Amino acid sequence: MSFTSFEFFVFLLIFFAVYFLIPKKYQWIVTLLASYIFYVYASLPAALFLIFTTVSTFYTGVLMGKANEQYAKTLANGGDKLTREQKKLYKAENKDKKHQILTAALVANFGILAFLKYFNFFASSTNSLLDFLSIDTALPSLSLLLPLGISFYTFQSAGYVIDVYRGKVAPDKNIAKFALFVSYFPQIVQGPIGRYDELAGQLYAPHKFDYTRVKFGLQLALWGFFKKLVIADRAAIIVNTVFDNYLDYKGLTIFFTVLLYCFQIYCDFSGGIDVARGIAQVMGIELRKNFERPFFATSVADFWRRWHISLSEWTRDYIFYPLSLSHAFARLGRSSRKILGTYLGKLLPTFLAMLITFLVVGIWHGANWKYVAYGLYNGILIFMGILFEPFLSRVFTQDNAKINSFSWRFMKILGTLFLICIGRYFSRADDLMTALRMLKRTFSIFNPWVLSEGVFSQLGLNEKNLELLLVSILVLLVVDILQEKGYSLREKIAEQNIVFRWALYFTAIFAVLIFGVYGIDYVATDFIYMGF
Amino acid sequence: MEELLRILSDLRPDVDFTNNNKLIDDGVLDSFDIISLVGELSEQYDIEVGVENLLPENFNSAQAILALVQRLQDED
Repeated sequence: MSFTSFEFFVFLLIFFAVYFLIPKKYQWIVTLLASYIFYVYASLPAALFLIFTTVSTFYTGVLMGKANEQYAKTLANGGDKLTREQKKLYKAENKDKKHQILTAALVANFGILAFLKYFNFFASSTNSLLDFLSIDTALPSLSLLLPLGISFYTFQSAGYVIDVYRGKVAPDKNIAKFALFVSYFPQIVQGPIGRYDELAGQLYAPHKFDYTRVKFGLQLALWGFFKKLVIADRAAIIVNTVFDNYLDYKGLTIFFTVLLYCFQIYCDFSGGIDVARGIAQVMGIELRKNFERPFFATSVADFWRRWHISLSEWTRDYIFYPLSLSHAFARLGRSSRKILGTYLGKLLPTFLAMLITFLVVGIWHGANWKYVAYGLYNGILIFMGILFEPFLSRVFTQDNAKINSFSWRFMKILGTLFLICIGRYFSRADDLMTALRMLKRTFSIFNPWVLSEGVFSQLGLNEKNLELLLVSILVLLVVDILQEKGYSLREKIAEQNIVFRWALYFTAIFAVLIFGVYGIDYVATDFIYMGF
Repeated sequence: MEELLRILSDLRPDVDFTNNNKLIDDGVLDSFDIISLVGELSEQYDIEVGVENLLPENFNSAQAILALVQRLQDED
């Protein structure tokens, strides 16, 4: 069920009604049932994978808990008779045991994800190589099922077992409750990727109906629908036209389209997240924020602290930190310090860890070389940012006082936006070669008069629709600027008088219903403008 | 503590480590600062900071960092 479908709307109505009418201690059960209904509606065979991950990670936690109990008992039995060496030995044994259990779980679950998501990519790349080497075999391309949300729920469950291993959380004792943690429907489609210590307690607890909280949740979801249906799906029309036929278009047209794509993907993704968080908020559950106004980022590193936050924080905590702090990397650091000197020597292992982390972020998005390029591009830029920022600040601001000035900050925002836009060529184009060709075309065919030529009103959206798109992006920018300054808009609205509030709600709802783009053949605005 | 403050200000001369106790919560130190800091601490105090120690409460202030260092020194 897509969030913007009629079935989902009905599903939600029924769900909320049941959720608030039944005794609160059964709310988690209803949510679990609803999550599985939601999931099976998408695909029944896929649910088997979901169940596999749920069961395997649950029992991994249980086994690790048992290992810990065993270790505690051994220590208690030995008491004072145990020497320090013996205690260390038992500690190491326990750690090894848990490590084996953890590795098995991670290999099994990530193995499934890797196979289902990346086998065909691996096969076709290998086949190209075999072809190049004139070797006459080929790997088959398989028709593989990709379970809904597999990248999200696998990462979330993996985070849980790693947290149990690290002693950060205690193993869950109830497999039904744990199944809810893995399958929770608002976040299974596109995240945010949750953490057990933040989410589980909330999911299992009872929640009462609180008018303000429910109202804020619905408003957040409405804002999400606005971003997705009015902005994203409308912008998509232009973006698709240009990307499907980029040879028909000149340099700056392509560039502005990619800029528009930045808005599209932001509105699509953050809109979906707002719907998810809004629904969760109605239920009394707070999901992690996934976006913090990414277009106000002052560097690529800052961008990734504001974009798809749950993913970048996951890779930071479960890939970047463990790698950088591992023995292997420490050794690498010591050797590189001898070869490259202290400053560069310290940076090399960090740079390598970061590159690997961003490779994972890139490839997480999809099985294609363009995503490998996307990941590496971002990783390299962040690292260059770290290396060059002090130098650039000194060059452009001449003294420390100006570092926080608005103009320098504004320049950094524009510069970052430009770099991110270039990155988007890689994530949106059909493949790596197309992305490179489009980039070349952008910079080699210069048409600075593109905005006055009216090209943009011939890309699938007529002028009225184009104006509507620009106005709604303006609304988005105003809202984001206010939020960046720290205003809580929902609270501010709640403070206004009743006439204003309801006028605003009705305007918003009608805007979504009338200006929403519901499928390629039905653009609701046409219906309005046709009548005149 | 002076030793620690010296290490911290070498790493980030722009930060006031004496008074700031929201180094992680406010995003003053980012992941690279943390990694560099951990590297320095391991060398300077001969401790091993594992990933499980990378919690906000251990790095939010110079006092917290010192407490972490002392705890890790005692453990072994």
